[in-house]
Amino acid sequence: MDYRHKTIMDLRSCLDEGKVTAEELFETAKDLAKQYQEQDNSFVSICDKFKMKQSQSLLSGIPYGLKDNISTSGILTTASSNILKDYIPVYDATVYQKLKQSGAVLVGKTTLDELAMGGTGTTAHTGIVKNPWDSARMIGGSSAGSAASVARGVVPFAIGTDTGDSIRKPASFGGVVGFKPTYGRVSRYGLFAFASSLDHVGCLTRNVLDAAIVTDVIKGYDPLDMTSLKDDGKEYHKMVNNSIKGRKLFYIKEACDLDNYQDQDDSELIETLKQFHEVLDKLRGIGFEIEGISFDKDLLNAIYPAYMTISCAEATSNNANLTGIQFGPRGEGNSIEEIMFDARSKGFSELIKRRFILGSYILQKENQERLFLNACRVRRLIVDKVNELFKKYDGLIMPASGGIAPLFGTKSDQLSDRYLLLENHLAIGNFGGFPSITVPAFFVDAMPVGINITGRIMEDDVVLMMAQAMENILKCKNMVAGDKIV
Amino acid sequence: MIEKEKLQDYARKLMFEMNDEEYTTLQQEFAVILKQMDLIGQIPDIAKVEPMTFPFITYQQELREDIESDEGVLTVNEVLENVKHEVDNQVKVPKVVE
Repeated sequence: MDYRHKTIMDLRSCLDEGKVTAEELFETAKDLAKQYQEQDNSFVSICDKFKMKQSQSLLSGIPYGLKDNISTSGILTTASSNILKDYIPVYDATVYQKLKQSGAVLVGKTTLDELAMGGTGTTAHTGIVKNPWDSARMIGGSSAGSAASVARGVVPFAIGTDTGDSIRKPASFGGVVGFKPTYGRVSRYGLFAFASSLDHVGCLTRNVLDAAIVTDVIKGYDPLDMTSLKDDGKEYHKMVNNSIKGRKLFYIKEACDLDNYQDQDDSELIETLKQFHEVLDKLRGIGFEIEGISFDKDLLNAIYPAYMTISCAEATSNNANLTGIQFGPRGEGNSIEEIMFDARSKGFSELIKRRFILGSYILQKENQERLFLNACRVRRLIVDKVNELFKKYDGLIMPASGGIAPLFGTKSDQLSDRYLLLENHLAIGNFGGFPSITVPAFFVDAMPVGINITGRIMEDDVVLMMAQAMENILKCKNMVAGDKIV
Repeated sequence: MIEKEKLQDYARKLMFEMNDEEYTTLQQEFAVILKQMDLIGQIPDIAKVEPMTFPFITYQQELREDIESDEGVLTVNEVLENVKHEVDNQVKVPKVVE
Protein backbone atom coordinates (compact mmCIF):
# COMPACT_ATOMS: atom_id res chain seq x y z
CA MET A 1 0.00 0.00 0.00
CA ASP A 2 1.35 3.44 -0.92
CA TYR A 3 0.68 4.91 2.52
CA ARG A 4 2.36 8.28 1.94
CA HIS A 5 -0.01 9.45 -0.81
CA LYS A 6 -3.20 8.24 0.85
CA THR A 7 -5.83 10.75 1.90
CA ILE A 8 -7.73 10.40 5.14
CA MET A 9 -10.68 8.96 3.22
CA ASP A 10 -8.38 6.50 1.40
CA LEU A 11 -7.02 5.31 4.72
CA ARG A 12 -10.55 5.19 6.15
CA SER A 13 -11.59 2.82 3.32
CA CYS A 14 -8.51 0.65 3.81
CA LEU A 15 -9.27 0.38 7.53
CA ASP A 16 -13.00 -0.27 7.03
CA GLU A 17 -12.33 -2.91 4.39
CA GLY A 18 -9.80 -4.66 6.64
CA LYS A 19 -6.91 -4.11 4.22
CA VAL A 20 -4.87 -2.65 7.04
CA THR A 21 -5.18 -2.23 10.80
CA ALA A 22 -4.84 1.00 12.75
CA GLU A 23 -1.80 -0.46 14.48
CA GLU A 24 -0.15 -1.24 11.14
CA LEU A 25 -0.79 2.35 10.02
CA PHE A 26 0.75 3.64 13.24
CA GLU A 27 3.81 1.42 12.79
CA THR A 28 4.22 2.62 9.19
CA ALA A 29 3.92 6.26 10.24
CA LYS A 30 6.28 5.76 13.17
CA ASP A 31 8.89 4.07 10.94
CA LEU A 32 8.66 6.91 8.41
CA ALA A 33 8.93 9.49 11.20
CA LYS A 34 12.12 7.83 12.42
CA GLN A 35 13.46 7.29 8.90
CA TYR A 36 13.19 11.00 8.01
CA GLN A 37 13.92 12.48 11.43
CA GLU A 38 17.61 13.05 10.77
CA GLN A 39 16.86 14.61 7.39
CA ASP A 40 13.83 16.80 8.29
CA ASN A 41 13.79 17.07 12.11
CA SER A 42 9.99 17.20 12.07
CA PHE A 43 9.50 15.74 15.54
CA VAL A 44 10.50 16.62 19.07
CA SER A 45 9.28 13.21 20.21
CA ILE A 46 7.99 10.17 18.38
CA CYS A 47 5.49 7.91 20.17
CA ASP A 48 6.66 4.36 20.76
CA LYS A 49 3.42 2.69 21.64
CA PHE A 50 0.20 2.38 19.69
CA LYS A 51 -2.67 3.91 21.65
CA MET A 52 -6.16 4.25 20.30
CA LYS A 53 -9.70 4.70 21.53
CA GLN A 54 -12.41 2.92 19.54
CA SER A 55 -14.73 5.37 17.80
CA GLN A 56 -17.01 5.74 14.78
CA SER A 57 -15.29 8.96 13.68
CA LEU A 58 -13.75 9.29 10.21
CA LEU A 59 -10.45 9.86 12.01
CA SER A 60 -10.60 6.59 13.93
CA GLY A 61 -7.28 4.80 13.44
CA ILE A 62 -5.74 7.64 11.38
CA PRO A 63 -2.17 8.63 12.38
CA TYR A 64 -1.37 12.29 12.99
CA GLY A 65 1.17 14.75 14.38
CA LEU A 66 0.53 17.34 17.07
CA LYS A 67 2.49 20.57 17.45
CA ASP A 68 4.63 20.47 20.57
CA ASN A 69 3.08 23.57 22.13
CA ILE A 70 -0.16 21.67 22.75
CA SER A 71 -0.53 20.03 26.14
CA THR A 72 -0.57 16.20 26.20
CA SER A 73 -0.89 14.57 29.60
CA GLY A 74 2.02 12.24 30.30
CA ILE A 75 3.78 13.10 27.02
CA LEU A 76 6.74 15.47 26.84
CA THR A 77 5.62 18.93 25.62
CA THR A 78 8.50 21.34 25.16
CA ALA A 79 7.25 24.14 22.89
CA SER A 80 10.69 23.53 21.34
CA SER A 81 12.29 25.57 24.13
CA ASN A 82 15.03 24.69 26.57
CA ILE A 83 12.96 26.22 29.34
CA LEU A 84 10.41 23.42 28.89
CA LYS A 85 12.77 20.72 27.66
CA ASP A 86 11.69 18.21 30.31
CA TYR A 87 8.12 19.37 30.93
CA ILE A 88 5.52 16.61 31.03
CA PRO A 89 2.01 18.08 31.28
CA VAL A 90 -0.56 16.67 33.66
CA TYR A 91 -3.56 17.67 31.58
CA ASP A 92 -4.74 17.43 27.99
CA ALA A 93 -5.47 20.31 25.67
CA THR A 94 -9.06 20.20 24.40
CA VAL A 95 -7.93 19.71 20.80
CA TYR A 96 -5.89 16.66 21.87
CA GLN A 97 -8.81 15.32 23.92
CA LYS A 98 -11.11 15.63 20.92
CA LEU A 99 -8.63 13.82 18.69
CA LYS A 100 -8.19 11.07 21.29
CA GLN A 101 -11.97 10.67 21.55
CA SER A 102 -12.20 10.42 17.77
CA GLY A 103 -9.76 7.50 17.76
CA ALA A 104 -7.03 9.36 15.88
CA VAL A 105 -3.60 7.94 16.67
CA LEU A 106 -0.82 10.26 17.81
CA VAL A 107 2.48 9.51 16.08
CA GLY A 108 4.57 12.33 17.49
CA LYS A 109 4.88 15.86 18.78
CA THR A 110 6.07 18.16 16.01
CA THR A 111 8.89 20.69 16.12
CA LEU A 112 8.13 24.42 16.13
CA ASP A 113 9.95 27.71 16.29
CA GLU A 114 10.69 28.22 19.97
CA LEU A 115 7.46 29.06 21.85
CA ALA A 116 5.83 29.47 18.38
CA MET A 117 7.54 32.84 18.05
CA GLY A 118 9.08 32.73 14.60
CA GLY A 119 8.42 32.05 10.98
CA THR A 120 11.47 30.15 9.87
CA GLY A 121 11.48 26.76 11.58
CA THR A 122 15.08 27.40 12.59
CA THR A 123 14.83 28.22 16.30
CA ALA A 124 13.74 24.98 17.99
CA HIS A 125 15.90 23.76 20.86
CA THR A 126 16.32 20.51 18.93
CA GLY A 127 17.61 22.19 15.75
CA ILE A 128 16.34 23.44 12.42
CA VAL A 129 13.51 21.85 10.45
CA LYS A 130 14.35 21.33 6.79
CA ASN A 131 12.01 21.55 3.84
CA PRO A 132 11.35 18.04 2.48
CA TRP A 133 11.23 19.46 -1.08
CA ASP A 134 14.76 20.85 -0.75
CA SER A 135 16.85 20.38 2.37
CA ALA A 136 18.77 23.60 1.68
CA ARG A 137 15.57 25.53 2.26
CA MET A 138 13.39 26.41 5.23
CA ILE A 139 9.93 24.95 5.64
CA GLY A 140 8.88 28.11 7.47
CA GLY A 141 7.19 28.27 10.79
CA SER A 142 6.21 28.22 13.40
CA SER A 143 4.29 24.99 12.64
CA ALA A 144 7.44 23.73 10.93
CA GLY A 145 7.38 20.05 11.90
CA SER A 146 3.64 19.80 11.29
CA ALA A 147 4.07 21.10 7.73
CA ALA A 148 7.20 19.04 7.05
CA SER A 149 5.72 15.77 8.35
CA VAL A 150 2.61 16.17 6.17
CA ALA A 151 4.67 17.26 3.15
CA ARG A 152 6.92 14.23 3.62
CA GLY A 153 3.93 11.88 3.83
CA VAL A 154 4.72 10.69 7.36
CA VAL A 155 1.19 11.58 8.50
CA PRO A 156 -1.92 12.56 6.50
CA PHE A 157 -2.60 15.43 8.88
CA ALA A 158 -1.00 17.40 11.66
CA ILE A 159 -2.29 20.00 14.07
CA GLY A 160 -0.66 23.42 14.01
CA THR A 161 -1.19 26.81 15.56
CA ASP A 162 -1.27 30.18 13.85
CA THR A 163 -0.69 33.62 15.41
CA GLY A 164 0.47 35.55 12.31
CA ASP A 165 0.69 32.94 9.53
CA SER A 166 2.22 29.96 11.34
CA ILE A 167 0.02 27.34 9.67
CA ARG A 168 -0.60 29.00 6.33
CA LYS A 169 2.93 30.11 5.43
CA PRO A 170 4.69 26.78 6.07
CA ALA A 171 1.80 25.14 4.18
CA SER A 172 2.76 27.26 1.17
CA PHE A 173 6.46 26.45 1.47
CA GLY A 174 5.73 22.73 1.94
CA GLY A 175 3.13 22.23 -0.81
CA VAL A 176 0.36 21.27 1.62
CA VAL A 177 -2.98 22.67 2.74
CA GLY A 178 -3.05 24.79 5.91
CA PHE A 179 -6.35 25.88 7.46
CA LYS A 180 -6.91 28.30 10.32
CA PRO A 181 -10.62 28.41 11.21
CA THR A 182 -12.47 31.40 12.68
CA TYR A 183 -11.03 32.62 16.00
CA GLY A 184 -12.67 30.61 18.78
CA ARG A 185 -13.92 27.84 16.46
CA VAL A 186 -11.27 25.50 17.89
CA SER A 187 -10.55 25.68 21.61
CA ARG A 188 -7.22 27.13 22.73
CA TYR A 189 -7.39 25.42 26.12
CA GLY A 190 -4.06 23.67 26.64
CA LEU A 191 -2.26 25.62 23.93
CA PHE A 192 0.78 27.41 25.33
CA ALA A 193 -0.26 30.99 24.69
CA PHE A 194 1.90 33.17 22.45
CA ALA A 195 -0.41 36.16 21.77
CA SER A 196 -3.86 35.28 23.05
CA SER A 197 -5.81 37.74 20.92
CA LEU A 198 -4.23 36.34 17.75
CA ASP A 199 -3.66 32.64 18.54
CA HIS A 200 -5.60 30.02 16.56
CA VAL A 201 -5.49 26.22 16.39
CA GLY A 202 -5.87 24.59 12.97
CA CYS A 203 -4.58 21.82 10.74
CA LEU A 204 -2.24 20.91 7.91
CA THR A 205 -3.29 18.27 5.39
CA ARG A 206 -2.61 17.29 1.78
CA ASN A 207 -6.04 18.22 0.45
CA VAL A 208 -8.98 20.45 1.33
CA LEU A 209 -11.46 17.66 2.12
CA ASP A 210 -9.04 16.28 4.73
CA ALA A 211 -8.79 19.75 6.30
CA ALA A 212 -12.59 19.81 6.53
CA ILE A 213 -12.68 16.32 8.08
CA VAL A 214 -10.11 17.25 10.73
CA THR A 215 -11.80 20.59 11.49
CA ASP A 216 -15.14 18.82 11.98
CA VAL A 217 -13.51 16.80 14.75
CA ILE A 218 -11.54 19.52 16.53
CA LYS A 219 -14.09 22.37 16.45
CA GLY A 220 -16.78 23.02 19.02
CA TYR A 221 -17.63 25.00 22.12
CA ASP A 222 -15.35 24.53 25.11
CA PRO A 223 -16.30 25.96 28.50
CA LEU A 224 -12.60 25.87 29.42
CA ASP A 225 -11.80 28.54 26.81
CA MET A 226 -13.55 31.85 27.42
CA THR A 227 -13.11 32.82 23.77
CA SER A 228 -14.63 29.60 22.46
CA LEU A 229 -17.49 29.93 19.96
CA LYS A 230 -20.70 27.94 20.06
CA ASP A 231 -20.48 25.16 17.52
CA ASP A 232 -22.13 26.02 14.22
CA GLY A 233 -23.49 22.48 13.94
CA LYS A 234 -22.18 22.13 10.39
CA GLU A 235 -20.31 19.18 8.95
CA TYR A 236 -17.82 20.92 6.71
CA HIS A 237 -16.64 17.77 4.98
CA LYS A 238 -20.13 17.26 3.59
CA MET A 239 -20.25 20.82 2.25
CA VAL A 240 -16.92 21.26 0.47
CA ASN A 241 -18.29 20.29 -2.93
CA ASN A 242 -21.17 22.77 -2.87
CA SER A 243 -21.32 25.13 -5.84
CA ILE A 244 -19.23 28.28 -5.80
CA LYS A 245 -20.86 29.81 -8.84
CA GLY A 246 -21.16 33.56 -8.46
CA ARG A 247 -18.89 33.71 -5.41
CA LYS A 248 -16.89 36.93 -5.42
CA LEU A 249 -13.24 37.27 -4.49
CA PHE A 250 -10.92 40.25 -4.37
CA TYR A 251 -7.17 40.60 -4.34
CA ILE A 252 -5.11 43.59 -3.25
CA LYS A 253 -3.74 45.37 -6.30
CA GLU A 254 -0.93 47.18 -4.47
CA ALA A 255 0.51 43.81 -3.41
CA CYS A 256 -0.29 41.65 -6.44
CA ASP A 257 -0.10 43.76 -9.59
CA LEU A 258 3.09 43.09 -11.52
CA ASP A 259 3.36 46.74 -12.52
CA ASN A 260 4.25 47.61 -8.94
CA TYR A 261 7.45 45.55 -9.10
CA GLN A 262 8.73 46.27 -12.63
CA ASP A 263 11.80 48.09 -11.31
CA GLN A 264 12.81 45.19 -9.10
CA ASP A 265 15.24 42.47 -10.07
CA ASP A 266 13.29 39.69 -8.40
CA SER A 267 12.45 36.99 -10.92
CA GLU A 268 11.03 34.69 -8.25
CA LEU A 269 8.50 37.32 -7.20
CA ILE A 270 7.57 38.14 -10.80
CA GLU A 271 7.06 34.47 -11.67
CA THR A 272 4.97 33.95 -8.51
CA LEU A 273 2.69 36.85 -9.37
CA LYS A 274 2.42 35.79 -13.03
CA GLN A 275 1.29 32.31 -12.03
CA PHE A 276 -1.03 33.75 -9.38
CA HIS A 277 -2.85 35.77 -12.06
CA GLU A 278 -3.02 32.70 -14.30
CA VAL A 279 -4.78 30.85 -11.48
CA LEU A 280 -7.19 33.78 -11.06
CA ASP A 281 -8.09 33.47 -14.76
CA LYS A 282 -8.76 29.76 -14.30
CA LEU A 283 -10.94 30.50 -11.28
CA ARG A 284 -12.93 33.01 -13.32
CA GLY A 285 -13.43 30.22 -15.81
CA ILE A 286 -15.22 28.05 -13.26
CA GLY A 287 -17.58 30.74 -12.05
CA PHE A 288 -15.72 32.93 -9.56
CA GLU A 289 -15.98 36.68 -9.98
CA ILE A 290 -12.60 38.16 -9.09
CA GLU A 291 -11.58 41.79 -8.93
CA GLY A 292 -8.48 43.67 -7.88
CA ILE A 293 -9.17 46.38 -5.33
CA SER A 294 -7.04 49.21 -4.05
CA PHE A 295 -6.09 49.13 -0.40
CA ASP A 296 -4.51 52.06 1.40
CA LYS A 297 -0.76 51.37 1.10
CA ASP A 298 -0.02 53.04 4.41
CA LEU A 299 -2.29 50.49 6.04
CA LEU A 300 -0.72 47.59 4.16
CA ASN A 301 2.75 48.73 5.21
CA ALA A 302 1.56 48.85 8.80
CA ILE A 303 0.38 45.21 8.97
CA TYR A 304 3.74 43.72 9.89
CA PRO A 305 4.78 46.36 12.46
CA ALA A 306 1.32 46.21 14.04
CA TYR A 307 1.56 42.43 14.20
CA MET A 308 5.04 42.56 15.75
CA THR A 309 3.94 45.16 18.27
CA ILE A 310 0.81 43.36 19.44
CA SER A 311 2.28 39.86 19.41
CA CYS A 312 5.53 40.75 21.21
CA ALA A 313 3.65 42.72 23.86
CA GLU A 314 1.22 39.86 24.52
CA ALA A 315 4.00 37.27 24.44
CA THR A 316 6.11 39.10 27.00
CA SER A 317 3.22 38.95 29.40
CA ASN A 318 2.07 35.40 28.55
CA ASN A 319 5.49 33.89 29.10
CA ALA A 320 6.17 35.48 32.46
CA ASN A 321 5.17 32.16 34.06
CA LEU A 322 8.29 30.45 32.71
CA THR A 323 10.50 30.73 35.79
CA GLY A 324 11.92 27.26 36.29
CA ILE A 325 10.28 27.08 39.71
CA GLN A 326 6.96 25.31 39.17
CA PHE A 327 8.24 23.49 36.08
CA GLY A 328 11.20 23.52 33.72
CA PRO A 329 14.88 23.25 34.61
CA ARG A 330 15.57 24.83 38.02
CA GLY A 331 18.15 27.61 37.84
CA GLU A 332 21.00 28.10 40.29
CA GLY A 333 21.19 30.85 42.88
CA ASN A 334 20.76 31.87 46.48
CA SER A 335 17.42 33.63 46.10
CA ILE A 336 14.23 33.14 44.12
CA GLU A 337 15.23 36.06 41.90
CA GLU A 338 18.64 34.56 41.16
CA ILE A 339 17.08 31.17 40.43
CA MET A 340 14.57 32.67 38.01
CA PHE A 341 17.24 34.86 36.42
CA ASP A 342 19.47 31.87 35.80
CA ALA A 343 16.63 29.65 34.51
CA ARG A 344 15.36 32.30 32.09
CA SER A 345 18.87 33.28 30.92
CA LYS A 346 19.70 29.67 30.07
CA GLY A 347 16.20 28.63 29.01
CA PHE A 348 15.38 31.18 26.32
CA SER A 349 17.26 31.49 23.05
CA GLU A 350 18.59 34.83 21.87
CA LEU A 351 15.68 35.39 19.47
CA ILE A 352 13.10 34.90 22.20
CA LYS A 353 14.94 37.29 24.49
CA ARG A 354 15.01 39.89 21.72
CA ARG A 355 11.25 39.52 21.17
CA PHE A 356 10.58 39.84 24.91
CA ILE A 357 12.69 42.97 25.14
CA LEU A 358 10.80 44.44 22.22
CA GLY A 359 7.54 43.56 23.99
CA SER A 360 8.77 45.16 27.18
CA TYR A 361 9.83 48.30 25.30
CA ILE A 362 6.39 48.54 23.68
CA LEU A 363 4.65 48.18 27.03
CA GLN A 364 6.72 50.85 28.81
CA LYS A 365 4.40 53.59 29.99
CA GLU A 366 6.04 56.19 27.72
CA ASN A 367 5.64 53.95 24.62
CA GLN A 368 2.19 52.48 25.14
CA GLU A 369 0.24 55.21 23.37
CA ARG A 370 2.67 55.63 20.46
CA LEU A 371 3.38 51.94 19.89
CA PHE A 372 0.98 49.49 21.51
CA LEU A 373 -2.26 51.45 21.25
CA ASN A 374 -1.44 52.73 17.77
CA ALA A 375 -0.84 49.14 16.65
CA CYS A 376 -4.25 48.17 18.09
CA ARG A 377 -5.75 51.12 16.18
CA VAL A 378 -4.14 49.94 12.94
CA ARG A 379 -5.59 46.52 13.66
CA ARG A 380 -9.07 48.03 13.81
CA LEU A 381 -8.61 50.06 10.61
CA ILE A 382 -7.44 46.99 8.71
CA VAL A 383 -10.18 44.71 10.05
CA ASP A 384 -12.88 47.34 9.43
CA LYS A 385 -11.65 47.82 5.88
CA VAL A 386 -11.65 44.06 5.19
CA ASN A 387 -15.08 43.64 6.76
CA GLU A 388 -16.35 46.46 4.57
CA LEU A 389 -15.01 44.63 1.51
CA PHE A 390 -16.57 41.39 2.76
CA LYS A 391 -19.99 43.03 2.37
CA LYS A 392 -19.45 42.78 -1.38
CA TYR A 393 -16.96 39.92 -1.64
CA ASP A 394 -16.98 36.40 -0.18
CA GLY A 395 -13.25 36.30 0.28
CA LEU A 396 -9.78 37.73 -0.19
CA ILE A 397 -7.46 35.76 -2.47
CA MET A 398 -3.70 36.33 -2.38
CA PRO A 399 -0.46 34.43 -2.92
CA ALA A 400 0.44 33.05 0.52
CA SER A 401 3.92 34.50 0.05
CA GLY A 402 5.92 36.46 -2.47
CA GLY A 403 7.84 33.40 -3.51
CA ILE A 404 9.21 30.02 -2.55
CA ALA A 405 10.72 28.78 0.71
CA PRO A 406 13.90 30.78 1.42
CA LEU A 407 17.34 29.18 1.50
CA PHE A 408 18.84 28.91 4.97
CA GLY A 409 20.95 31.93 5.75
CA THR A 410 19.12 34.35 3.45
CA LYS A 411 17.95 37.63 4.92
CA SER A 412 15.01 39.62 3.60
CA ASP A 413 14.97 43.37 3.27
CA GLN A 414 12.43 43.99 6.00
CA LEU A 415 11.50 47.40 4.64
CA SER A 416 10.85 46.28 1.06
CA ASP A 417 7.40 46.16 -0.54
CA ARG A 418 7.73 42.42 -1.05
CA TYR A 419 8.39 41.90 2.66
CA LEU A 420 5.82 44.33 4.01
CA LEU A 421 3.05 43.57 1.49
CA LEU A 422 3.44 40.01 0.28
CA GLU A 423 5.27 38.22 3.07
CA ASN A 424 3.14 39.41 5.95
CA HIS A 425 -0.43 40.03 4.77
CA LEU A 426 -1.65 36.73 6.24
CA ALA A 427 -1.72 38.41 9.67
CA ILE A 428 -4.95 40.08 8.49
CA GLY A 429 -6.60 36.72 9.20
CA ASN A 430 -5.38 36.84 12.80
CA PHE A 431 -6.23 40.49 13.35
CA GLY A 432 -9.87 39.85 12.43
CA GLY A 433 -10.12 36.17 13.40
CA PHE A 434 -11.12 35.37 9.80
CA PRO A 435 -11.11 31.75 8.56
CA SER A 436 -8.17 31.42 6.20
CA ILE A 437 -6.74 28.60 4.12
CA THR A 438 -3.62 28.08 2.00
CA VAL A 439 -3.83 25.60 -0.87
CA PRO A 440 -0.79 24.48 -2.91
CA ALA A 441 -1.20 26.08 -6.32
CA PHE A 442 1.89 26.03 -8.55
CA PHE A 443 5.66 25.68 -8.67
CA VAL A 444 8.43 28.23 -9.08
CA ASP A 445 11.98 26.89 -9.49
CA ALA A 446 10.68 23.39 -8.63
CA MET A 447 9.38 24.57 -5.27
CA PRO A 448 5.70 24.80 -4.29
CA VAL A 449 3.79 28.04 -3.73
CA GLY A 450 0.36 28.28 -2.13
CA ILE A 451 -2.59 30.56 -2.70
CA ASN A 452 -4.52 31.78 0.31
CA ILE A 453 -8.24 32.44 0.61
CA THR A 454 -9.55 34.34 3.64
CA GLY A 455 -13.27 34.72 4.29
CA ARG A 456 -15.85 36.22 6.63
CA ILE A 457 -15.86 35.18 10.29
CA MET A 458 -18.08 32.18 10.99
CA GLU A 459 -18.07 31.23 7.30
CA ASP A 460 -15.49 28.47 7.61
CA ASP A 461 -17.67 26.29 5.38
CA VAL A 462 -17.65 28.87 2.55
CA VAL A 463 -13.86 29.26 2.75
CA LEU A 464 -13.40 25.49 2.56
CA MET A 465 -15.85 25.31 -0.34
CA MET A 466 -13.99 27.97 -2.32
CA ALA A 467 -10.66 26.30 -1.53
CA GLN A 468 -12.01 22.95 -2.72
CA ALA A 469 -13.12 24.50 -6.01
CA MET A 470 -9.65 25.99 -6.46
CA GLU A 471 -7.95 22.70 -5.60
CA ASN A 472 -10.09 20.92 -8.20
CA ILE A 473 -8.66 22.96 -11.07
CA LEU A 474 -5.04 22.89 -9.93
CA LYS A 475 -2.65 19.97 -10.14
CA CYS A 476 -1.24 20.09 -6.65
CA LYS A 477 -3.62 17.87 -4.67
CA ASN A 478 -2.21 15.17 -2.37
CA MET A 479 1.39 16.00 -3.16
CA VAL A 480 4.25 14.43 -1.25
CA ALA A 481 7.71 15.97 -1.35
CA GLY A 482 9.69 14.54 -4.21
CA ASP A 483 6.67 13.90 -6.45
CA LYS A 484 7.21 14.61 -10.12
CA ILE A 485 5.99 18.13 -10.82
CA VAL A 486 3.30 18.31 -13.49
CA MET B 1 20.04 54.21 17.97
CA ILE B 2 18.50 52.90 21.16
CA GLU B 3 20.99 52.91 24.05
CA LYS B 4 22.42 49.63 25.23
CA GLU B 5 21.80 50.63 28.87
CA LYS B 6 18.10 50.92 28.19
CA LEU B 7 18.02 47.44 26.67
CA GLN B 8 19.98 46.08 29.62
CA ASP B 9 17.40 47.56 31.95
CA TYR B 10 14.57 45.84 30.07
CA ALA B 11 16.45 42.53 30.17
CA ARG B 12 16.94 42.90 33.92
CA LYS B 13 13.25 43.55 34.44
CA LEU B 14 12.45 40.51 32.32
CA MET B 15 14.85 38.50 34.48
CA PHE B 16 17.41 37.26 31.98
CA GLU B 17 20.82 38.30 30.80
CA MET B 18 22.32 38.67 27.35
CA ASN B 19 25.89 39.02 26.11
CA ASP B 20 27.43 42.02 24.31
CA GLU B 21 27.10 40.44 20.89
CA GLU B 22 23.41 39.79 21.48
CA TYR B 23 22.86 43.41 22.51
CA THR B 24 24.53 44.59 19.31
CA THR B 25 22.20 42.42 17.24
CA LEU B 26 19.28 43.72 19.25
CA GLN B 27 20.28 47.34 18.66
CA GLN B 28 20.46 46.69 14.91
CA GLU B 29 17.10 44.95 15.01
CA PHE B 30 15.57 47.84 16.90
CA ALA B 31 16.77 50.26 14.22
CA VAL B 32 14.74 48.38 11.59
CA ILE B 33 11.73 47.73 13.83
CA LEU B 34 11.45 51.34 14.90
CA LYS B 35 11.52 52.39 11.23
CA GLN B 36 8.70 49.91 10.58
CA MET B 37 6.79 51.23 13.55
CA ASP B 38 7.12 54.75 12.16
CA LEU B 39 4.95 53.49 9.30
CA ILE B 40 2.10 53.20 11.80
CA GLY B 41 2.54 56.78 12.92
CA GLN B 42 2.22 57.97 9.30
CA ILE B 43 -1.43 56.93 9.12
CA PRO B 44 -3.56 60.08 9.25
CA ASP B 45 -5.73 60.60 12.32
CA ILE B 46 -4.62 57.32 13.83
CA ALA B 47 -5.04 58.67 17.35
CA LYS B 48 -8.80 59.08 16.81
CA VAL B 49 -9.36 55.35 16.21
CA GLU B 50 -10.63 53.10 19.00
CA PRO B 51 -7.91 50.46 19.71
CA MET B 52 -8.89 46.88 18.86
CA THR B 53 -7.74 44.25 21.33
CA PHE B 54 -9.79 41.32 20.13
CA PRO B 55 -10.67 39.94 16.66
CA PHE B 56 -14.41 40.51 16.99
CA ILE B 57 -17.05 40.99 19.60
CA THR B 58 -19.07 37.90 20.19
CA TYR B 59 -22.28 37.91 22.10
CA GLN B 60 -22.44 34.16 22.13
CA GLN B 61 -21.06 33.70 25.62
CA GLU B 62 -23.77 33.22 28.19
CA LEU B 63 -23.56 33.45 31.94
CA ARG B 64 -23.65 29.97 33.41
CA GLU B 65 -24.89 28.77 36.74
CA ASP B 66 -22.27 28.93 39.48
CA ILE B 67 -21.86 25.18 39.80
CA GLU B 68 -18.98 23.62 41.73
CA SER B 69 -16.78 21.65 39.37
CA ASP B 70 -13.37 20.05 39.51
CA GLU B 71 -12.97 20.22 35.74
CA GLY B 72 -9.59 21.65 34.94
CA VAL B 73 -8.54 21.60 38.60
CA LEU B 74 -5.24 19.90 39.38
CA THR B 75 -4.50 17.83 42.47
CA VAL B 76 -1.52 18.74 44.65
CA ASN B 77 0.38 15.74 43.30
CA GLU B 78 -0.27 16.85 39.73
CA VAL B 79 0.88 20.39 40.49
CA LEU B 80 4.10 19.07 41.99
CA GLU B 81 4.82 16.57 39.23
CA ASN B 82 7.17 18.91 37.33
CA VAL B 83 8.66 20.64 40.38
CA LYS B 84 12.36 19.92 40.81
CA HIS B 85 12.51 20.62 44.55
CA GLU B 86 9.59 19.93 46.87
CA VAL B 87 9.12 19.32 50.57
CA ASP B 88 5.91 18.32 52.37
CA ASN B 89 3.71 18.91 49.34
CA GLN B 90 5.16 22.38 48.79
CA VAL B 91 7.57 23.90 46.26
CA LYS B 92 10.94 24.37 47.94
CA VAL B 93 12.79 27.63 47.25
CA PRO B 94 15.56 29.49 49.10
CA LYS B 95 14.53 31.27 52.26
CA VAL B 96 12.58 34.43 51.43
CA VAL B 97 12.35 35.99 54.91
CA GLU B 98 15.63 36.44 56.73
